Amino acid sequence: MIEISNITKRFYSLVALDNVSLTIPRGEVLGLLGPNGAGKTTMMKIVAGFLQPDSGTVRPLNSAWPIIGYKPERLLFPNQLRVSQYLEMIAGLSNISGQHHVKEVVGHSLEQVDLLSAANKKIKDCSKGMRQRLGLAQVLIGNPPLLLLDEPSNGLDPEGQTDILQVIQSLHASGKTIVISSHHLHEITQICTELVILNRGQIHYRNSMAEALAVRPHVSIHTDKDLAPMRTLMQALHPDVQIDGQRLIMKNEAMALRRAAMTILLQNGYDILHVEQKRITLAEIYAKAVQ
Amino acid sequence: MTQRIWVLTRFLIERTLFSLTGVLYVILALVYWRILFPVEQGTPDIDNYFLIIGAFGAVMAFIVTLTTASRANEAANYPLIVRLPSRVEFLTAVLLSGLLVTGMLQLLVALLALIRGPDLFSVRALDIPPVWLATNILAAVLAVHASDFVTRGWSRVTIYGILAIFLFGQSSSSSLAPWFAQRLNSLSVTLINHSWVSTAGLVNRLISWLNGDGVTTLGNVLGFVFWPFRAILEAVINGSFDSNQALAPAVMLLYATILFMLAADLFANKDLDFIE
Repeated sequence: MIEISNITKRFYSLVALDNVSLTIPRGEVLGLLGPNGAGKTTMMKIVAGFLQPDSGTVRPLNSAWPIIGYKPERLLFPNQLRVSQYLEMIAGLSNISGQHHVKEVVGHSLEQVDLLSAANKKIKDCSKGMRQRLGLAQVLIGNPPLLLLDEPSNGLDPEGQTDILQVIQSLHASGKTIVISSHHLHEITQICTELVILNRGQIHYRNSMAEALAVRPHVSIHTDKDLAPMRTLMQALHPDVQIDGQRLIMKNEAMALRRAAMTILLQNGYDILHVEQKRITLAEIYAKAVQ
Repeated sequence: MTQRIWVLTRFLIERTLFSLTGVLYVILALVYWRILFPVEQGTPDIDNYFLIIGAFGAVMAFIVTLTTASRANEAANYPLIVRLPSRVEFLTAVLLSGLLVTGMLQLLVALLALIRGPDLFSVRALDIPPVWLATNILAAVLAVHASDFVTRGWSRVTIYGILAIFLFGQSSSSSLAPWFAQRLNSLSVTLINHSWVSTAGLVNRLISWLNGDGVTTLGNVLGFVFWPFRAILEAVINGSFDSNQALAPAVMLLYATILFMLAADLFANKDLDFIE
């Protein structure tokens, strides 16, 4: 949907983005992960058109610029307005006209984020959770095909976070392209289909979520005694076999030999306490990428 | 586009009027009226009415638009701007809201000043709207350039610096010309010492010009920019606009258009890093 080519953005001497290229595919949920100052918000602001890159281009693929719904990280609203008034204004800016139609659209977006009961509340009286939902409700007005969500569940209680994730999942199911920046790894794991890890203005990791989490599964066999004496024997079985104290770790192709390894261990007087098969977690991918 | 601009304009007007600043503006307008149009004394002079309320409009247009622009420069407006196909729509809304609020305040003073004031059912009354409107628009566009909302890099310093040069130059051309002539004379001597005789000749001709007609010409060139203001002032004092003076509001609108186009260009390409 959007192609970002070799963009660099500096703020005085600070390089916020350094020659970054990325494609935001249509219909996908792209998760931007990275520590504070990695360049996630800068990238979102460039895609939203608030910031101009110093070099490089951002352009839509095979279409005109889509309408964008943007939820900033810090939720600041015109506090004197009521929730419904604010959304009606966003509807007006999205070329929705006719009082009845505007009210219908606003009502639907409030319903989607479970904020219908606060429609007549002044924004200044809304809790942080309500403001977060309002931030998402305004994004939904006018049905924009591209949504940029900066920390969408920040400040919400666990129940609220689950609700927001469900809304995002339903938006994805309806074919929207979504870019999410978040520090919550479980949130990214649950809803994103594409993963990008940024650090110090550069992309350090890029993969589809399915592939990212499918790679490098491993089997860990826990025994009752130290496995150091078995090192030579086990590595003769396969070079990808590792020994860590009382634990035998088998990665990649070596996993297929787990039965043979367990037989050898039993024959050599080891008891097998338990066996676990693990996939690499997002936390591990993230830690490695930002190292 | 019209719907979007109107939605933003209404939002910005409400933010200005229903705030403490808005109340202060109304109080300011009432105080201005009470001091400059005392009811007990009566103020029947239409020239006085024309100029004093016109000046009030220009000053208020500057202040109100500056306030509106600074409110528009807040991070709460990110979700609004992202919906606009062109940022210029937001800039237009800022300008329109500044002008409409100014118009309301000016109208308030103008209506109150009619109490024991001039008779508006005269031919002079027709001169008032174009002049007030043109000065208000120009003041509002200048205010936009003075705000952080539009400023990019040194643009504010450049625009107001150029204005200051014209303003200072037209009033001080008689004292500036000898100063320039003196500097050029030193330059000419230096050039002759370095055997650059032909260039020194050119400099000497420039010195002669400055010592002759130069002062008047320099004053006229620098003063040309402010001609519409002088023309309006003279016309109001004389009691009627001649055919040249009648063009003054149009020239002011031309200035405003050029400055607005410059503001639109600056705003369209600047990094929007609003205040949180």
